[in-house]
Amino acid sequence: MIDLKVLTQAVGDLDEQVILSLINEFVASNPSGEDAQMVVQACQQGMAIVGDLFEKNVYYVGDLIFAGDLLTQAINAIKPVLGGVGSQKVGSIVIGTVQGDLHDIGKNIFSSMAEAAGFEVYDLGIDVSPSAFVEKVKEVKPQIIGMSGVLTLAIDSMKKTVNALNEAGLRDSVKVIIGGNPVNEDACKQIGADSFTTNAAEGLKTCQGWVS
Amino acid sequence: MDSKYYETWEEYLAEHPELEGKPIKAIEPKVQKYEDAMFTFIMDLVL
Amino acid sequence: MTDAVAMTNERNQMFSDLFSGKTPKRVPVSNPATQDFAIQYAGLDLAECQWDLTKLEPVYDKFCQDFFTDTYPGGSIRLPSHYQILGSTPIVMSSSGFMQHPDVVGMLAEEYDEFIASPYDCIVETILPRLFTELNGAPGKVAMALAKAMRAQSDDLAYLGTIRAKMNAKYGFATMSAALTEAPFDFMADFLRSFKGISGDVRRHPDKIAAACEAVLPLMIKKGTLPNPSMLGYTFIPLHMAPYLRDKDFLTLYWPTFKKMVETLAGMGQTVQLFVEQDWMRYIDYLYELPENTIMRFEYGDAKVVKEKLGKKHIISGFYPVTLLQTGTKQQCVDKAKELLDILAPGGRYWWQADKSIINLEANGPVVENLRAVLEYVHENGAY
Repeated sequence: MIDLKVLTQAVGDLDEQVILSLINEFVASNPSGEDAQMVVQACQQGMAIVGDLFEKNVYYVGDLIFAGDLLTQAINAIKPVLGGVGSQKVGSIVIGTVQGDLHDIGKNIFSSMAEAAGFEVYDLGIDVSPSAFVEKVKEVKPQIIGMSGVLTLAIDSMKKTVNALNEAGLRDSVKVIIGGNPVNEDACKQIGADSFTTNAAEGLKTCQGWVS
Repeated sequence: MDSKYYETWEEYLAEHPELEGKPIKAIEPKVQKYEDAMFTFIMDLVL
Repeated sequence: MTDAVAMTNERNQMFSDLFSGKTPKRVPVSNPATQDFAIQYAGLDLAECQWDLTKLEPVYDKFCQDFFTDTYPGGSIRLPSHYQILGSTPIVMSSSGFMQHPDVVGMLAEEYDEFIASPYDCIVETILPRLFTELNGAPGKVAMALAKAMRAQSDDLAYLGTIRAKMNAKYGFATMSAALTEAPFDFMADFLRSFKGISGDVRRHPDKIAAACEAVLPLMIKKGTLPNPSMLGYTFIPLHMAPYLRDKDFLTLYWPTFKKMVETLAGMGQTVQLFVEQDWMRYIDYLYELPENTIMRFEYGDAKVVKEKLGKKHIISGFYPVTLLQTGTKQQCVDKAKELLDILAPGGRYWWQADKSIINLEANGPVVENLRAVLEYVHENGAY
């Protein structure tokens, strides 16, 4: 039987060898879907440790990116034995880098952490138009919309996107969080977002607060 | 720089004995200019 | 115009003094707005003007006339023609008309050994064909794509050069040359392994990263070498990955070849300008170790601490926040310029540049008035 505490710590330590050997051994033991779900949770708890160490400046952005990669590998290895057991999603987020901007590293870090924390993440990619955001929101009805950008022109695109949500009558049914280098309190007000962040771990906490 | 795709003048000259007796002082800077121009172009594509 | 010639000589002297650790007669000032900004300022289409360069001369003329600057403005420029011809994936024009760099992978982790054996061979044979779709195909087509691209870029640069010569003759800018290169670790990250890839490599193959950095170091030095090392100008090195690494990874993987590169270039008699991007405050003692009179332009950080720890040995620049120009009042912008002058100018070794480039002109915002005011302010009040 897999030691979940050891797995959680291994994820927190970003120990790829231990994580993969524990999970591969577990999968080979023909486990139940429920047990597999507990393994997923143990990984998610490990990611919370990673987020913590990032806030304490023990880990840096490069480590967050590596953590996201490890988590993806771990979940992919477990998927075959999750069976029909759907994981409880805490909420859903539609996320994208706004129109005109092609940068996505920060967005991808946030997406990994949000997925690890149990969110269903719909990632629209880069250079996403306001109408593409609106269409996706109509389709999946998320609790949260996340907009990312690195260039200052992103502020303008974010404003246009919020306006588009208003026009479609969707703004009141979602929370909007913005992230990236140029975002700050002023930008947040200008854009009409509910919150802003330049730190993925902090942004995740905000989102968790919104769905709890 | 040890590469199939870049030659120093000495290496080039060693491969081109037909240049003996030709105006090397005029040839060398020109041939090397384009070798280095290609280096800069290539490197700028990955910088 | 002899006025312009005299101004060029005066400005060249200012920079020669600055770069050799002497104190010029005033703080030199450089306009941080780019060619992209200038095109928008002229009210023209951004994408079109990067293709049809004949539209650019009046753009630059108006730009140079309206914004005070000691150095030729416009910033680092990537023009789209040769990228389009090559089927570029690492540098593309977004819907907004700005050339940008999405995170793409040029080299796979299993290709480290090939790279270490001969970096230039690997770049030509493996990396370029992966990154540029037109360099991946039948030899005849590849050869033609390369020839067309080289000709296109060469023509573009030559044309921009003629505009520059005219502007220099009219406005008397300093005539400085620059060569672009990167720290070996940044080179391995940016176009080769990608941000995501190198972050994994730091954990999985640190020894390969170290060996690759050593192998590519001579290419980075060659790339950064000016035609005549002692000429007025500098090697420009934007620094990328260090703030995203743990201290111990920085020390073993980033620092050694970066330091060697700067020392080698300085040893040739060249000036080196670092664009210290993101936050290097935890590495400030390392920066001190670099050769005297290294120019360090900071994006973030504590200006007072930087001046105190580095300001007697190195030339400090940057810190001025461009976001303030885009959102603040004119008074706030000028006050900020004064604040930084008061901290960074005393004792010399200070060059006024902003914390980053301004590429976007927010039509309804105050950036034009603010930028003009700040550049004038520093020009008129920039005493050491």
